[in-house]
Amino acid sequence: MGYSFTLRTIYPYFGDLWQSALNTLSLSLLAIVLSIALGALVALMRRSALRPVRLLGAAYVEVMRNTPLLVILYLVYFAAPEAGVRLSSFMAALVGLTLNSAGYMAEILRAGLIAVPPGQFEAAQSQGMSSAQVLRHVVFPQVFRTIYAPLGNQVIAVILASSLATAVALDEVASWMQTVGSSSFRFFETFVVAAVVYLVLCQSVNIARILIGRKLFPQGRRA
Amino acid sequence: MTEILALDGLVKRFGSRTILDGISLNVSAGEIVCFVGPSGTGKSTLLRCINGLEDIQGGRISFEGQAVQGNPSAIRAVRKRVGMIFQHFNLYPHLTALQNVMLAPVVVHKEAKAEVEARARALFDKVRLAHRINAYPAEMSGGEQQRVAIARALCTNPHLLMFDEPTSALDPETVGDVLTVMRDLALEGRTMLVVTHEIRFAADVGTRMVFMDQCRIVEQGDPRAMVAGAQTERARKFLGTIHG
Ligand SMILES: Nc1ncnc2c1ncn2[C@@H]1O[C@H](COP(=O)(O)OP(=O)(O)OP(=O)(O)O)[C@@H](O)[C@H]1O
Ligand SMILES: [Mg+2]
Repeated sequence: MGYSFTLRTIYPYFGDLWQSALNTLSLSLLAIVLSIALGALVALMRRSALRPVRLLGAAYVEVMRNTPLLVILYLVYFAAPEAGVRLSSFMAALVGLTLNSAGYMAEILRAGLIAVPPGQFEAAQSQGMSSAQVLRHVVFPQVFRTIYAPLGNQVIAVILASSLATAVALDEVASWMQTVGSSSFRFFETFVVAAVVYLVLCQSVNIARILIGRKLFPQGRRA
Repeated sequence: MTEILALDGLVKRFGSRTILDGISLNVSAGEIVCFVGPSGTGKSTLLRCINGLEDIQGGRISFEGQAVQGNPSAIRAVRKRVGMIFQHFNLYPHLTALQNVMLAPVVVHKEAKAEVEARARALFDKVRLAHRINAYPAEMSGGEQQRVAIARALCTNPHLLMFDEPTSALDPETVGDVLTVMRDLALEGRTMLVVTHEIRFAADVGTRMVFMDQCRIVEQGDPRAMVAGAQTERARKFLGTIHG
């Protein structure tokens, strides 16, 4: 029962793979950036002086962490049009992935906010900064420094989770894998190729993150 | 002398605990008021009420005729004119010494960067740290950090400086550097409120000593006279123990 591994049959599909990989990458990067912004908002809500606002923030995190991404994607893509919101596959995938990732980002950012000593807020406030200025110039730079390493996990999680976007008909790497597998019958090869593409994407983004980190936070400085 | 600060019957509570119980105090321009007293009597809390870091439950605070409590924009207006120096420096760790000093003038006071930088560099000369201008807080000793914190407070041209035990977290050998800078500020005629356990500094530099105990001002007067012999038993006892 010798199975001969060959890429020759699926070679013609590699042109599509490039486009699919770009879709995976752009979807993931956008979702990461947007979910950091949304996550920051939720993390701040969880520190609000107003209890209802705190509860809303906590509820958001729990709902997102306890709902499968696939369900969120279906809701955004198939159910939202019933309410008059019709999104393209890409936009639906971006919204779903962002909403989901923001739940996790909020927790990461919350830990980063807790790590900023109260004295930092006080020093900034005592200089007459507005709340927005305190966050922008004093708090977020320190939070960002703290969460930069833990962010790596979430970045990879988003890239891998983006494979579910095939369920809302987006041409990304997982959907390439399914299409090419079933039309070429070389399932094993397409699965392996897709796995390698995800590995390369994740590692490229991660290495880019580390290199940017070295630029932003030079050695020998605790920030 | 123009009055800068007026406290009238100030009351501060945390929950049901009263921390400040009817503090009244007037401070004129050029005064150097040193606050002394046992731990936990509300000295830090008093300074924090003055710039609105704590809200108050009774009485009035006015700074240059403007009420400190109440609306946030009034509080911010007061904070722009009051410099605060903390026991643990609270420098911004992600910024260099120079950036620490320049931040508020640029973002809060909307001043031109070049102007602020020139002033900041002059301040580093004044606090004798011109050589540490590009260091990060983590790379500096406590005494250096505290002098940067003083430069940071000075760079917004404050009308009042508040020091909360500025030398308590320092190694003995660096305390002198910070006190020297503070003496220079006193000679310039700055208005200062200083919470301190440095009784000798208070006696040398202070124009007034305020002894606090159990939520109240127990006695105030000329620092040298009080160190030589305070009126009240409690102040005498405290100054005696701390003086050694
Ligand atoms: N945020 C707070 N919540 C509750 N109680 C507080 C808070 N901050 C201070 N206190 C209490 O208020 C009292 C006065 O504190 P404060 O720090 O003003 O004293 P202090 O005179 O500065 O003492 P020290 O010389 O030790 O610095 C203390 O008993 C302290 O426990
Ligand atoms: Mg104190």
